Amino acid sequence: MGQYRAWLDAYAQAYLAAAGWTLAIAVLAFLSSLLWGALLFFLRLSAGVWAERLVDVYVQLLRNTPVLLPIYLIYFGFPLIGLLWPAAICGGMALVLQNGAYICEIFRGAYKAIDRVQHDAAKSLGLMPWMAFRKVTLPQLLVHSIPALGNQAVLLLKDTSLLSAITVVELTMQAKVLTERTGAAYAPFLLAAAFYLSLVALIEFGTRLAHRSVQWR
Amino acid sequence: MAMTPSDVWVMAEAARISLALALAAIAFGTLLALLLTPLAFAPFALARFGYWLYVFLVRGTPVLLLALLLFYALAAVWGRISPYAAGVVVLTIYLAALFAEVFRGGVLAIPRPLWDCCKSLGLSRRSIFWRVTTPLVARYALPPYLNVCVMAVKASSVLSIISVWELTLAAREIIERTLDVYRVLAVAAIFYFIMCFAIDRLGRRLESRLAAKGFAGERL
Repeated sequence: MGQYRAWLDAYAQAYLAAAGWTLAIAVLAFLSSLLWGALLFFLRLSAGVWAERLVDVYVQLLRNTPVLLPIYLIYFGFPLIGLLWPAAICGGMALVLQNGAYICEIFRGAYKAIDRVQHDAAKSLGLMPWMAFRKVTLPQLLVHSIPALGNQAVLLLKDTSLLSAITVVELTMQAKVLTERTGAAYAPFLLAAAFYLSLVALIEFGTRLAHRSVQWR
Repeated sequence: MAMTPSDVWVMAEAARISLALALAAIAFGTLLALLLTPLAFAPFALARFGYWLYVFLVRGTPVLLLALLLFYALAAVWGRISPYAAGVVVLTIYLAALFAEVFRGGVLAIPRPLWDCCKSLGLSRRSIFWRVTTPLVARYALPPYLNVCVMAVKASSVLSIISVWELTLAAREIIERTLDVYRVLAVAAIFYFIMCFAIDRLGRRLESRLAAKGFAGERL
């Protein structure tokens, strides 16, 4: 136990900083993914056949390739066009590209789950299209997509660990560095895992709470 | 410097390794999941808790962290170990949790009255298992099972970070040598897309063959 104590004293600060990076990247990337996914969904919904096809191709392409590819695309590709951005931003953008595709699919699924009758009812009440969307479609869409969005947030949080491949010192990278520096076989990784697990538990709990609180009575 | 046709061949070879890793992990993961799923329905609370704990721990940790943990921990115990073996073990552990949840969902999707029907027909437990549960779970679980198989191919790319030479690592090496970022990644994306898409198509075909007359995959 004593060695862990000394080890924690020496490295707690590095750990907390790395955990902060993981958290910051995950939160910012998730919020941006929500926006990007919503934009893709609206394009698909209301910008004509070609927009629909284009969005579908984009979504299928990103869903069927590993997220490391967009990460490398931006990290190695941006310098070639003269953009020398920090690795964390490049990686975060790649996460947004892929998670936006997933979130677009989530919104699409939620939209399909809304009964067609609802649209007719809104029309027969004389609601204008925008009003019908805001008052009838959107609230149901959001409620239907809460569980899947929570799930996606968990996946995104875990995917931030891949940014260690492009030199971002987030939690997984820090654990790896400490393992190599201190010769500890697994303690740094277990500590990192505990952090991820508690965040995942928190997200799952929050999702359930949110879903229950907006459920129709 | 641009990538050459021989680089494409190298990447095709790497794609073959990615696929082999994924398929091995799918096979072992399915076997492990078939052992895990019954725990979720066991009459002992301890078994159910064990199942829940396994799924929570594995699904709540990034695959990369699992891979590093196993790679370094095993290396500390046994000295150098093959990253390929470690990679297959990690993917197996990861996929088993996902598959087990898929199978559990399949069992839960069986409508309740069906169990009573089986009982009132006087079927033995064994014939309920083989003639009712198994065929129905296979049908309910196939679509999400295939989703996880696609995830397996994508997750194999993570192993590149623990120095398993597969498609993503090959792509990275070629990028670092030629700086031909866009073309190399496009080729890698095409290979991944083909693999994922092929699994998907294969599964859909299997699905239509498994589908019995009148079985629409929906709850009664």
